[in-house]
Amino acid sequence: MEWAKLRPTLRTNDMTETRVFKARKILTIDPLRPTASHVAVREGRILAVGDGDCAAPWGDFTMDNRLADTVIMPGLVEGHAHLMAGAMWQFTYVGYHDRTDPDGRAWAGIDTADAMIARLRDGAAQSNEKVFGWGFDPIFLSSERLNKTHLDQVSTDRPVAVLFSNFHLMCVNSVALEMAGYDADTPLEGVVKGPDGTPTGELQEMAAMFPVLRRMEIDFRTLSQSEDAIQSYGKIATRAGVTTMTDLYSMLEDEDIALMLRLTGADDYPLRIVPALGASGAPAHVADKALALREQSTDKLRLGAVKLMTDGSIQGWTARVRWPGYVGGQPNGIWNTAPAEIFALTEEMQRRGVQMHIHVNGDEAAEVSLEALEAAARAHPWPGARHVLQHCQMMDRALFSRAAELGVACNIFANHLWYFGDQHAALTIGPDRASRMDATRTALDTGVMTAIHSDAPVTPLGPLFTAWCAVNRETMTGQVLGPEERISVSEALELITLGAARTLRLDHDIGSIEPGKRADFAVLGDDPTIGDGASLKDVPVLGTVFGGRVHLP
Amino acid sequence: MTGLPLTVIGGYLGAGKTTLINQVLGAAHGLRLAVLVNDFGAINIDAALLQSATEDTIELTNGCICCTMSGDLFFTIGDLLDRDPRPDHILIEASGIGDPAKIAAVSLAEKELRYAGIITVADGLNIAEQLSDPRISEQVKSQLRSADLVVVSKIRDFHVGSLLQDMDIPRWAYADDLETVAALMLDRTDLSARPASDAQSHPAYLHWSDTAPPALSREDIYLRLSDMPPGLLRLKALVPDKTSGFWEVHVVGRQKQVRRRDDVASIGLVAIGLNDALSQAEIRRWWLGT
Repeated sequence: MEWAKLRPTLRTNDMTETRVFKARKILTIDPLRPTASHVAVREGRILAVGDGDCAAPWGDFTMDNRLADTVIMPGLVEGHAHLMAGAMWQFTYVGYHDRTDPDGRAWAGIDTADAMIARLRDGAAQSNEKVFGWGFDPIFLSSERLNKTHLDQVSTDRPVAVLFSNFHLMCVNSVALEMAGYDADTPLEGVVKGPDGTPTGELQEMAAMFPVLRRMEIDFRTLSQSEDAIQSYGKIATRAGVTTMTDLYSMLEDEDIALMLRLTGADDYPLRIVPALGASGAPAHVADKALALREQSTDKLRLGAVKLMTDGSIQGWTARVRWPGYVGGQPNGIWNTAPAEIFALTEEMQRRGVQMHIHVNGDEAAEVSLEALEAAARAHPWPGARHVLQHCQMMDRALFSRAAELGVACNIFANHLWYFGDQHAALTIGPDRASRMDATRTALDTGVMTAIHSDAPVTPLGPLFTAWCAVNRETMTGQVLGPEERISVSEALELITLGAARTLRLDHDIGSIEPGKRADFAVLGDDPTIGDGASLKDVPVLGTVFGGRVHLP
Repeated sequence: MTGLPLTVIGGYLGAGKTTLINQVLGAAHGLRLAVLVNDFGAINIDAALLQSATEDTIELTNGCICCTMSGDLFFTIGDLLDRDPRPDHILIEASGIGDPAKIAAVSLAEKELRYAGIITVADGLNIAEQLSDPRISEQVKSQLRSADLVVVSKIRDFHVGSLLQDMDIPRWAYADDLETVAALMLDRTDLSARPASDAQSHPAYLHWSDTAPPALSREDIYLRLSDMPPGLLRLKALVPDKTSGFWEVHVVGRQKQVRRRDDVASIGLVAIGLNDALSQAEIRRWWLGT
């Protein structure tokens, strides 16, 4: 039936174009209509979902067949990432895993020292000043640590530095050592010395790295706040099918906001960014700033949340863990925010109506944070607060139950299973607790509002890979860590769309393909629901649709 | 003098770090201090001293500036190094749970900085409770153990002393003795301003100097540094090398920095320690062998 012909007078606005995208299949993540073949878009929003006639009651429309061979999902939502994920690509990638840069160039993983030297030489050939590699993982170097003699083969007249994937170590060549004035008399242990007493080139922790970075004119602050960083973030998002992404821990100074408003405000900028203000300093001041920021929000820059750091990382043995602690007998980790401060900040944010994202890797950090959230909830009831525990790597059933009772959402670091799972079993918390890590099944079963994430650039952005991790729980060596904690493909696909949207309090607006929501889609080359989930990570991402505008890089 | 001195003030939440900073900012030290703090909220500056204030920087009429840390601390320190003119001394307030040694480490690496010590404020009223709280005790202890000087705030109490001694911290100053704290914190080791070979008298600390120290070899210096008097808190020495050039030596607590210098304006040596733990004779025996 041709509704448009029957009821032409109902067209409300002849100037407003309706575009109907035809797809091979549309996965809506809406239980009322799980799949469809067409989606109609008007004014950047979803007008109707269904078959080719779905837009007919709304008047004239244009049929758009550009996506006819693709599978469409809701735009993917990355609930835990950092803006520097895009900006790192201005440097030379020398990581172990294959990666694709924001411009679509594929970079093969580096698995020998010679390959790394060769790639850095290419980098040196393209620029006439510094050479800076990033993402290095020494996994393949069994006998010898990376040192200055390797990097002196890249250049003997320019500084060369390689930043490790954990961001805590760097190796530099002799020129860089000389620029920083490092020699046998440099007292800092983090400037590692060899048997001959001279620096080897390895620099441990930021204090040792900073003097070299400063002289190479590399300022980590600009990696998170520069035009290039924000544009690259949009590009890597599009290539991963992501249309909404956080930047969890940002200083958000006035000039940063002005820049982000300008860049994200462009019609062709393909990403909604949800930054969270780093919560440090006096609680009242943090709340004042967060509330003032919230007033500046636009659709594509959602401001007003804060991020609280509590403990460190499990693989660095700095996460706060409960008994029996680390398997190697390492001392318990460190608080970056003292428990008393966690309580004070939590109470103030709850009282003032500011949503919090709380970093908790170890189970003790999760426990203290939940205690603080409970105390705040008693003092200042706010049923819709949706504070979010981030990472949640060691939370057990009791902690998840408590989160569910409090209405606290949990965004789980599923990528860790693959990237660090073997290490956790062997070195950090032992095989038993490692098999219980990142317990997505338990989170869902206890009724927690759940999402899963990459923490890019800590691990690469790619929600379909993140979903694969939660579905398969495979480690790099192929062992399955805790098969009981696996979830289904459809559950995982919900977690990377609607689930993550809920943690950002945006599920009214994004996260599924249903009328009224933003017309944000991930455009895929295959149907991720086909099969048992083993190939989820291999589903090609062709691009996105953002607010009805197609982005196919 | 080479290297901009950097001092870190550590101590658990509420210990009195900011009170100490307020006192130092208002004191007549004649230095253009750059102070990095966690939050302006508790910074209390005499209105007469205030020159200008923005969201993250306060400038004082005495040349001092006070900034909040924004983003990465080390890059903020880099900004201070790039200021023209450079401040005379950087004071950094560590966070209440932070390890001051991690911050001070940058002054052992960056050649344009010089390690000027870690002062950890121990909360005289609450330290016992903090040391018995299993969630925070290790971090509170490590703050105290990284200190070159522990400063006890709020109260002069025998029990606090015995707690510190239990942690092998044999000596401390009291926060209400600002003159001592400032002398130990702010590097008052100006070689030219002191009379020769003279122990200054002050109830709490000893100041000893020598304007004509003998020439030493690199080995002579490292030999001395390997066997320092336990009560020595600071040493600054500019001494001739036995063959050519000079050595610049800085000791702050356990940290030692040795640099070769081609030329210096004057030579000399200054040592500082707490009076009850260090004597003039001990220093002479150690450095001069007399």
